[in-house]
Amino acid sequence: MDFSSILYGFQVALSPGNLIFAFIGVLAGTVIGMLPGLGPISAIAIMIPLSYGMDPASALILMAGVYYGAVFGGSTSSILLNAPGVSGTVATSFDGYPMAQQGKAGKALAIAAISSFAGGTISVVFLMLVAPFVADLAVTFGPTEYFALMLLGLTAISSLSDGSTIKAMIAAVVGLMIATVGMDQQTGTSRFTFGNPSLLEGIDFLIVALGLFALAEVCQLILRRKEKESKKKSDVGNLKLSKGELKEMGGPISRHSVLGFILGVLPGAGATIASFLSYISEKRLSKDPSSFGKGNIKGIAAPETSNNAATSGAFVPLLTLGIPGSGTTAVLLGALLVVGVQPGPLMLQDHPDVFWGVIASMYIGNLFLLILNLPLIPFLAKILAIPRQLLISLIIVFCLIGVYAVSFSTFHLYILLGFGVLGFLMRMFSFPAAPFILAFILGGMMEQSFRQAMTISNGSYNVFFQSNITIALFIVSLLSIFVPIISGYFKKKAEANEDERKGRTA
Amino acid sequence: MANKPSRWIALLLLAIAGVYLVLAYQLPEFPYAIIDSDVLPKGLGFLLIILSVVLFATAKEETAEEKEKRTIPKNDLVILLITAVAIFIYISLLEVLGFLLTTILFLLFLPTVLGYRKYGVTVAVAFIFSGVMYYSFTYLLNITLPQGIMPF
Amino acid sequence: MKNIRLIFLLMGAFMLFLAGCGNTQESGEAASGAEGSWQPEKPIEVVAPAGPGGGWDTTARAIAKLLESENIIDQRMAVVNKPGGGGAVGWAYVNGKAGDNHTMFIASPPLHFVPLNGQSDLDYQDFTPLSAVIADYAAFIVKADSPYNSMTDLVEALKKDPQAVSVVGDSAPGSMDHMQFVKAVKAGGVDVKNLKYVSAQDGGGMSMLLGGKVDVYSTGLAEATEQARAGKVKVLAITAPERLEGETISEFPTLKEQGIDDEFVVWRGFFGPKDMDPAAVKYYEDAFKQMMETEQWKEVRDNFGWTDNYMNSEEFAVFLEEEHKEIEALMEEVGLKQ
Repeated sequence: MDFSSILYGFQVALSPGNLIFAFIGVLAGTVIGMLPGLGPISAIAIMIPLSYGMDPASALILMAGVYYGAVFGGSTSSILLNAPGVSGTVATSFDGYPMAQQGKAGKALAIAAISSFAGGTISVVFLMLVAPFVADLAVTFGPTEYFALMLLGLTAISSLSDGSTIKAMIAAVVGLMIATVGMDQQTGTSRFTFGNPSLLEGIDFLIVALGLFALAEVCQLILRRKEKESKKKSDVGNLKLSKGELKEMGGPISRHSVLGFILGVLPGAGATIASFLSYISEKRLSKDPSSFGKGNIKGIAAPETSNNAATSGAFVPLLTLGIPGSGTTAVLLGALLVVGVQPGPLMLQDHPDVFWGVIASMYIGNLFLLILNLPLIPFLAKILAIPRQLLISLIIVFCLIGVYAVSFSTFHLYILLGFGVLGFLMRMFSFPAAPFILAFILGGMMEQSFRQAMTISNGSYNVFFQSNITIALFIVSLLSIFVPIISGYFKKKAEANEDERKGRTA
Repeated sequence: MANKPSRWIALLLLAIAGVYLVLAYQLPEFPYAIIDSDVLPKGLGFLLIILSVVLFATAKEETAEEKEKRTIPKNDLVILLITAVAIFIYISLLEVLGFLLTTILFLLFLPTVLGYRKYGVTVAVAFIFSGVMYYSFTYLLNITLPQGIMPF
Repeated sequence: MKNIRLIFLLMGAFMLFLAGCGNTQESGEAASGAEGSWQPEKPIEVVAPAGPGGGWDTTARAIAKLLESENIIDQRMAVVNKPGGGGAVGWAYVNGKAGDNHTMFIASPPLHFVPLNGQSDLDYQDFTPLSAVIADYAAFIVKADSPYNSMTDLVEALKKDPQAVSVVGDSAPGSMDHMQFVKAVKAGGVDVKNLKYVSAQDGGGMSMLLGGKVDVYSTGLAEATEQARAGKVKVLAITAPERLEGETISEFPTLKEQGIDDEFVVWRGFFGPKDMDPAAVKYYEDAFKQMMETEQWKEVRDNFGWTDNYMNSEEFAVFLEEEHKEIEALMEEVGLKQ
C-alpha cells in the first residue's frame, strides 16, 4: 500500500471545493434515493450529464456522495413506508417498518444510518487493505458457484416464516414462477408473456416489492385508519439510542461488514443476498428469534450494515479488474469514463492518485452521509405523523410514480395493482411475503447459472462437484436446512422431558 | 370444508398450477439447448401441485384468532374496493389526462373518501405534492412523466 | 397542521436544492444552420427505448444535452425512457406517433436483431432514419493463457469441432453478441449451427472469461481494450474494416487481415417516426452534423471511446437496407429467424 498516495487522495478530497461537492452529492443522492422508484442507478445516471467538464476528482467525489446517499435514501422509504425501492433494502423493512410503526421511527432511521456508516466505512478499509487480493474471488465465481450461492440464499426461506412451512414453500414456488416470466436468456424463448413485449424483460423487482409490501400495507392502514397515528407523537423523531442499544448493534455491525464486503465483491446479486443472509444469520444467532420481524434492533442493523458493506465490496472488481459487478457499478463505470478515468487492472499502477482519490472520496461520502442525515432524521420521521388518510393516499401515489419512473408504461401499473391485491390476500390467509420476494429475486439467477453450467459442461452434472467453493456452499446449504430441524427436534424432546419431570414432581 | 379456508386456497393453487403447466408445455423447443427453457417451469408446476395437495391434506380448522384477522367489516370492505377502483381509474387516465391533473384529482378524492375532513389541507396537499413531483421529475431530473392534455 | 407545514417546507427546500444543481435550461438565440423551412416549435422528445443508465440512454442523454447546451436546437430536448422488450416497447410507442416531427429515438443494430427474433413487429423500415452518429466494433477475446493466438486458430478449431469452444456473450442467442460472432466464424467457413453459446447475466461475461469458465468472449471494443492493455486477455479480432488508430487499439487485428472477409459496425443513430416531414429530417440531419463538430462533443466522444460515424438520412437508409438483408440471411441459416 502506498501511503503517500492515500494522503494525496485525502488532500484532494478534503479541499474546500470538493467538500462542497461531497455535500451536494450526498444531499442529492439522499433526496433522489427517497423519491419513488429512483435508486442509485438512476441517481448516478441522472448526475452523469452534470459532470461533463468537471474536474475528475470533484466529479468522483460528487458521484460517491450520490451513490451512498441514494443507498441510504432507499432504506428510508423501506423503514418509513414499507416500500423498499431497491432489492438490497427489502430485509431492512422486516424490522425497520415495525419499529417505525411502534412510534420509534427516528430510532429506526438512526440505527440504519449508523449501521450504514459503520458498514460502509469498515468495508472501505477492507477495500484499501485487501482489494488486490480478493479481486480474484470475483472471477473464481462461475456458474456453479453462483448456483450454489443462490441455493444457500433460498434455504433461508424456512427461517423467514414464523407460521406454516408449507405456506412459506408455496409462496416461494409462486415467487419462482413469477421470475420465469419474460424472455429466457439462454434460449431467447419468450415465457408466459402472451405476446406482450412489455413482459419480455420480465416483471421488475420494484413492482413486486411495492405491491406485496407497500400496497398490501396500505390496505392494512386503511382498515386501521381511524386509530390514532402514534401514541407518542412527540417521540417519533427522537433518535437517541441508549448505550445498551448501541452495544447491541456492535455484534451485527462487526459480523456483517465482513460478510457484506465479501458477498459484495461477487458480481451479481451481492447487496441483496448479503442483506438477506445477514438478516437470517442474525436471527439464527439470536437467543430470542421470535422478536425478529417485530422491530428488533439487530434486525435493522444487520441488513443495513451488510448492504452498505456490499456496496464498497462491489468497487473491488470495478476498480481492480474493470468489471462492473452490478447495475449500479456499471452506471458508475460510465460516470468514471465521462470524467476520463478508465477503471481496470492498470488503474492502481497507472493512476494511483485517482484510485486512492476514489477511495478517499468514499470515506468522505460516508462521513458526510452520517453528518447530514442524523439531523435530518427527526424531520423525515415526522412523515409518519401526517394524518393517516392523507398518508395512505400519498403512499399510493408514491408507489405509482415509482413504478412509472422505472417502466414508463401504465401496463406495469396495472400489474402493480394486481400484486397489491395479491399481497393483501396473502396477509389475510397468512402466506408470508418474504419467501415470495426472496425466491423471486434469486430464482432467475439460479436458473440461468444452472443452465450456463450445464451448457459449458455439455450436459454433465459432474461440473457441480469439481469446485471446492461450490461443494462448500452445498454443504453449508444442507447444514442450514437440517441443523434447525435437528436442533428443533432435540429442543422439543428436551421440553417434553422437562414437562414430564415437572409433571412428576407436581 | 367451511371452517378450513386452506382447502379452498389449495384448490385454487391447484388450478393455477394446472394452467401454468399447460402453458409450460406449449413453450417452443430451442434446437441447441442442453436444458431448455421449459424444464424449470414444468418442475415448478408439478411442485406446486404437490404442495397444494399437502396443504389440502394438512388443512386445520381455523383458530378464532385467524378468523378474526380475516373478518373485515362491510364498511371497510367497501372502502377498500373504492380505493382499488380509484387506483384503477387513476392508471387508466394517467397517460390521457397527464400526471399532474390525474394526481391532483386522485389526491382530492381519496383522502375525502377515507374520511379526512380538513378540506383546505387536502386541496393544498393535492396541488403542491403533485406539482412538486411533476416539476422535479420532468424538469429537474429529466425523467419525463406523462404530460397529457396539460400544456406543460 | 403543523406537520403538514413541515412537509411542505421540506419539499420547498428540496425543490430549491434541485433547482440549484439541476441543469438550468439555456435560452439560446434562434437555431442556426437550418436551411430548410422547418423549425421545431415545441420540446422535442428523444426516446431511449431502455431504462436510465444503459448504452442507449447514456448516448441519448449526452447528445440531447449537447444539442441543447451548444444552442444547436433551440428547444428543450426531453429524454423519455421507454424500456421493455429489448427496444420493442419504445419502437411501438414511436410508431404510434407517425408524422410527428418532434419525436425521435436512438437505435443500434438490435433494431435488426429483435424483429428478426420475432420479438417486435416493427423494424427499421417502419421509421425515418435521421442520422447515424457513432460507431463501435465487436471484439472477440480470449484469456491471456489461451491456446488460441489468432482468429485463424480459433476458426480452425471450430471447423474440426464446433463444440470445441464455449463462447459467452452478454445477451440471449439470436441477439447482437451472439450473431456478431456467428457472422464472423461463418465467413471463416465454420458450421455455425452447433456452436456452444452461453448467455451471461448482468455483464458477467468478462468475469466468466477471466475465471476460465468459458473460452471466448464476444463483446465490444470498449470492454476489451483496458483488459488487453493490462495483458489479461488477447484480442483475436475486431470487426472493423481496417485497423483503428490509437494507443493499444491499433494493435488489434481485424478479421479481414486474417483472411476472414467480414466486418460489423455497431452503429448508433437516430430515427424519427414514419412519415416525418422531409424538411424536419433535413433540419435534424444538419443539427447532428453541427453538434459533432463542436469541441464539447469531441471530449465526450473520446472519454466514452466512441468513433465518429456520421451518415445523413439517405446514406443511413441505404446502409441499413444492406445490413438488414445480410443479417436476415444469416439468421435464417442458423435457424433463429422467427
